[in-house]
Amino acid sequence: MRQFVLKRFGYSLLSLFLLSVTIFFFVRITGDPATLLTEPGASEADIAAIHHRFGLDRPLVVQYVLFIASLLRGDLGQSFYYQTPVMELYWSRLPNSLLLAAVAMTFSLIIGIPSGIIAAVRVGSVWDSLGKVFGLLGLSLPSFFIGMLMILFFSVYLGWLPSSGSGTALHVIMPAFALGWYFAAAHMRMTRSSMLEVLGSEYIKLARLKGLPQSLVIAKHAFKNALIPVLTLAGINLVLMINVAVIVETVFAWPGIGRLLYEGISFRDFPVVQGIVILGGTMIIGVNLLVDIVYAVIDPRIRLEA
Amino acid sequence: MMQTIGRPPAEPFRIHRRALLALSAAGLTGALPHRTQAASPGQVTYAVHISLAASWLDPGQTSGLITPFLLLYALHDALVKPMPGTAYGAGLAESWTASEDGLTYDFVLRSNALFHNGDPVTADDVKFSFERYHGANYADLQGRVASIETPDPRHVRFRLKQPWPDFLTFYGGATGAGWIVPRKHIEAVGEEAFKKAPVGAGPYKFVSFNPGVELVLEAFEQYWQKPPSVKRIVMKVIPDEGTRLAALKSGEVDIAYSVRGELAEELRKTPGLKLEAVAVQGTFAVYFPEQWTPSSPWHDIRIRRAVNFAIDHQGINQALTQGYSHVTGSGVIPDMFEFYWQPPKPEYNPDKARSLLAEAGRPNGFDAGFYYCDSSYSNIGEAVVNNLREVGINVRLRPIERAGFVKAWGEKQYKNLIQIGPGASGNAATRMESLVVKGGQFVYGSYPDIDELFPQQAVELDHAKREAILHRMQQLVYEKALYAPIWQLAFLNGVGPRVGTSSFGRIPGFPYTAPYEDITLKSA
Repeated sequence: MRQFVLKRFGYSLLSLFLLSVTIFFFVRITGDPATLLTEPGASEADIAAIHHRFGLDRPLVVQYVLFIASLLRGDLGQSFYYQTPVMELYWSRLPNSLLLAAVAMTFSLIIGIPSGIIAAVRVGSVWDSLGKVFGLLGLSLPSFFIGMLMILFFSVYLGWLPSSGSGTALHVIMPAFALGWYFAAAHMRMTRSSMLEVLGSEYIKLARLKGLPQSLVIAKHAFKNALIPVLTLAGINLVLMINVAVIVETVFAWPGIGRLLYEGISFRDFPVVQGIVILGGTMIIGVNLLVDIVYAVIDPRIRLEA
Repeated sequence: MMQTIGRPPAEPFRIHRRALLALSAAGLTGALPHRTQAASPGQVTYAVHISLAASWLDPGQTSGLITPFLLLYALHDALVKPMPGTAYGAGLAESWTASEDGLTYDFVLRSNALFHNGDPVTADDVKFSFERYHGANYADLQGRVASIETPDPRHVRFRLKQPWPDFLTFYGGATGAGWIVPRKHIEAVGEEAFKKAPVGAGPYKFVSFNPGVELVLEAFEQYWQKPPSVKRIVMKVIPDEGTRLAALKSGEVDIAYSVRGELAEELRKTPGLKLEAVAVQGTFAVYFPEQWTPSSPWHDIRIRRAVNFAIDHQGINQALTQGYSHVTGSGVIPDMFEFYWQPPKPEYNPDKARSLLAEAGRPNGFDAGFYYCDSSYSNIGEAVVNNLREVGINVRLRPIERAGFVKAWGEKQYKNLIQIGPGASGNAATRMESLVVKGGQFVYGSYPDIDELFPQQAVELDHAKREAILHRMQQLVYEKALYAPIWQLAFLNGVGPRVGTSSFGRIPGFPYTAPYEDITLKSA
């Protein structure tokens, strides 16, 4: 087991290293940030001064070494655009992303799981068809489109909810729904297929043969077992929600990490883009490592095969 | 007794009466649009289109963009700055004089000008602010100044190494060097603390800043001109244009910057909202980089003139900017710039364009290659390309992301046609330098008769004579069809029903609301 954990940890570190190299060099291929911080026609002296201020006049390898050295100290550098430490920006936005992701996940589970159960229990019926349509719409309708429709309806026409920003519980409703919409469809499909598999199993048949009411069969016996893959998916999706809600956060002007990433890309703010990608990557790699370890603990075959 | 095995029969779908009533109520209320009111009385809330950067709070770091001045006009003040009706309005300096030899500029500071912390604005602060400045053009600016004297707290004297007619243009308008910060305060708290909580001499004081999210300011009651009537300003960053308009329509914000195209049309049609447009200093034109290449069709001035007649300036203006852009006929110099020369207005005449092409031996048009443009303005490019195709100039649109476009444009990588849109502050001379005259950053070729005039105007201290030289240069640019002008871009904004005076358009060429102290709210 120890060997398994060390091996997995080593792979994780290697993944992080490759991620750092990739993001560092790829972000620099996008172009020169100085051209976005000045008007066309800016003097070469001005451009050179910006390069010097941001350390961009150094050789790439030197920049990378300095970047890694700072990273190991927990310093992700200073934002070119905001002139603020990236960590400070990240930590100021992270609670907002966590809140949005938590509410969006709640929406997606509240909508996805019951609809998946109903679709599975009433397979072939109109409810199942509705569930399939919902699944299709959820996976194909873009979140920004849903967001804009909600803003138009609930903010402009009805005046019930604020169109953008944060600060109150009302602010989080629409962006959370827009973000959770896609994942609700994914959770619905996973729940439906998982429930169908469980409902077809022998012990469920036995429970029915014993005369247990349908509600008890579903709630007590089928649901818990069907929930395992759904929750695994939900855990991974939660991390995704925190890190990739770029479009929703931009449409709703939600001050989260996704919007910070969008701004970083727009302004070629290399430290911000690098920092968010590395921190997000660390989160995803960390979650995957944890899941691998938990699976290995639960199922010895996994660690023996490894 | 037989028991049911397998799935029980599905229950029929039922809509309960209560649910039906609730749905009906929702539908009825949906038919009655109503708005939530915006902020508290005495407060104006802005929906800003661009992330507010911390560096914009500090005049010492002003880049070459116009956007930092959105905050500088609120938080800070300058000795001399563009104001309503003049490019050189009196700010913290109540008067100034320039010596006849152009080597000395004397400023007299106002006696009642105070910083937000109550300290008076002194000559020492002016000198400190200049020496501290490290933003755009700082090397050029500081390199031309021999010394700064402060004979007493209200007098400052700049001595230049050589006569420089554009000193006030750069000191008072194009840079942040003339925007004054408190020396004692900065030395006491340190640069980092100042950048996080700036103290200035402007009409509004800093309250709080969440980078990229929101800036809150409150009125400075001791502002030398007058206390602002709007007591609190909140600037919210809302990057999406549709969301900005939604916030304005729902009453969450009072002013929304940058609402374009169909959304501007929607704004105009909305009762209670006003569309306020400002023609900014961004001029758009089609540049012919191959006009100096004898083998290129663009070498023929008739073909370049044909492009000018082919472009439906007013039609594009109406479609994209509701008719608010200025079709001046000048491709590179905005009409509010000092030394601007008004060319003849461009004419849309596709028949004349075809006739010119025929004269030039291209009766059936020709394949003109690519039309390069900044992708942010590809909508303009698309319209122009369509117009050119209508007369037979077959060109393909090639939008490039902004930074890549500017870089390649400056490195002379483009051929065929380039849509340019310079927006830098300055005057006619500064635009000529970068866009027309030999050696300019974006100059692919030049004409000797224009080149020889440029150094003459650079040392001419007589304003009228200098103006005559620069006018002549612009005439030559027009006569040689160096550019085919499109327009001077209008920046479209929305204003809500609570706002009395928005201050849009009061400072020529400035896209944002200023002076802030003149903004008012309507009485309740």
